[in-house]
Amino acid sequence: MALNVTKSVWKNVLLSRHGCALTLERSISTTPACNKISTGRYKPLEGRYQVLTYDQAIKPHELVHMKSWNTWNTSTLKGGRRSQLTTIEDMFIRRFIHGAWFCNTVGEQIIIKRQHNIIRIAFCVPKTVSPQNCYFITGFCEEMLSIWLHCPVKLEIQTTEPHEGYAKVINPQGLN
Amino acid sequence: MSLLSVSRNSVKGLGGFKPIGAHLTLNYAVRLSAQAGADAPEFGDSSDEFRQLVIKPPRFVESKKTKKAGLHMVMSKDYKRADKIDPANVDWKSVWPGPRTFDPNSIPIPVRQGRLKPKARSFGKHANMELMKIPTFFHLTPPAIEAHCKELQRFCTPFPKELDTKAKCEQHFPLTVITNDYLHSSPTIRDPQARIVTVKLKVKDIPLDNHARDKFMRLVRDQYDEKTGTLTIVTDRCPLRKQNYDYAQYLLTALFFESWKVETWESEKTLEDMEVYEWDKNVSSKALASILKWTPDKLGKSVFHEPLKSEELKPEHLAYGAAVKEVVEGESKNGLDQYKTAAIRLLI
Repeated sequence: MALNVTKSVWKNVLLSRHGCALTLERSISTTPACNKISTGRYKPLEGRYQVLTYDQAIKPHELVHMKSWNTWNTSTLKGGRRSQLTTIEDMFIRRFIHGAWFCNTVGEQIIIKRQHNIIRIAFCVPKTVSPQNCYFITGFCEEMLSIWLHCPVKLEIQTTEPHEGYAKVINPQGLN
Repeated sequence: MSLLSVSRNSVKGLGGFKPIGAHLTLNYAVRLSAQAGADAPEFGDSSDEFRQLVIKPPRFVESKKTKKAGLHMVMSKDYKRADKIDPANVDWKSVWPGPRTFDPNSIPIPVRQGRLKPKARSFGKHANMELMKIPTFFHLTPPAIEAHCKELQRFCTPFPKELDTKAKCEQHFPLTVITNDYLHSSPTIRDPQARIVTVKLKVKDIPLDNHARDKFMRLVRDQYDEKTGTLTIVTDRCPLRKQNYDYAQYLLTALFFESWKVETWESEKTLEDMEVYEWDKNVSSKALASILKWTPDKLGKSVFHEPLKSEELKPEHLAYGAAVKEVVEGESKNGLDQYKTAAIRLLI
């Protein structure tokens, strides 16, 4: 793409230098393409460090090569059923867990695995959450979600040290 | 993924987490070292040397201590529980009874997954989300499977010894019913495809005579496979499997009795209506009978006899009939030769 753009620009220059009308032989866009891909990419921030989990540190196009999906189910396989419902349910589960755990999930990464009619939700929680709270919220989430989703829900939590679970530190702008 | 994630701000969710050892010192002022306070940071010069004028000091000043801090502080501190498990003596079935997400505190083996740089060491098992994603089979160790099978054995009966060969199985159980069950990872166990019932049957196992067989073939049409001689009935019009199965049974029954029925109008079928050449009903067999039982009438001409009965037919007569049929259906050199030899054998 870059090569094409430079060629056409060069052609423009040539044409204008010879005083000809600015007509191109092929009708392609001479404006450089704005490949503004920003999803899942973390840039250095102004004035502060940024810590990324392994999942965040790997770019979206490296999915399957370097990391695997956060959602595991059979709805998108050939002949799979209720893919739309599953997606919406997953969105709901993610939001609910995020809120119920007071934003305490490590890297906001929530894994949802569906086995038959069981939904397994796995994520990491730092040990700053007290055990009493932890047990209560686990039971609360399982109960509420299984009522709403009409199937058994299991929360499989891994507790981590407060700063554990991060794989990469991005320095602030200007500091390498 | 970004659609499903709650928010893109990563540091927000840490619960008051501050980056480790990032001592930031911001200094925008152009300052002379002579006027600097006693606690102000110094940039690479000691007080003994000539003072420098720093027009634009670097925005971030980090001590050597901070630089080395980095990642090792976010690593795990102590996890002793998994190390205490002795794999040789522990009853693994009770440690990991069923399928569940990977738990580093219960797995006494070193597991690693995921690396960011090509030659870097991959990450350990603690707080490793990649390991939590994949399905594990720690509950399916050989002793666990053995124990499961031993429990299930009580509910099983041995396979009958009499049905030791496939031929015997086919003889005693000629009907094959095929249904499919579907398992999805969803709260419902229903699948519309599960209603389809396929019934297979070898046509030679159905008692049919020539007429009934002909009619049967006309009724089943392309559901009969000539290569294997199998009749396949697929029923999927009813919403339930039971209904479809019953419908298939009904179809088989109806086919059988319908093919044995002889309607009154079937006797009106003449030789011209026949699809296949049948020698014993045709003129050729009558001619043969007339030659074999030659009797003159009053005028001395030969009497036209009815075809020979099946018990009177000899092998050479049948061979002649087969040769005639072959010639009638499609004339070929080989067929004509056969006809010649059959005719000679018949007459001489």
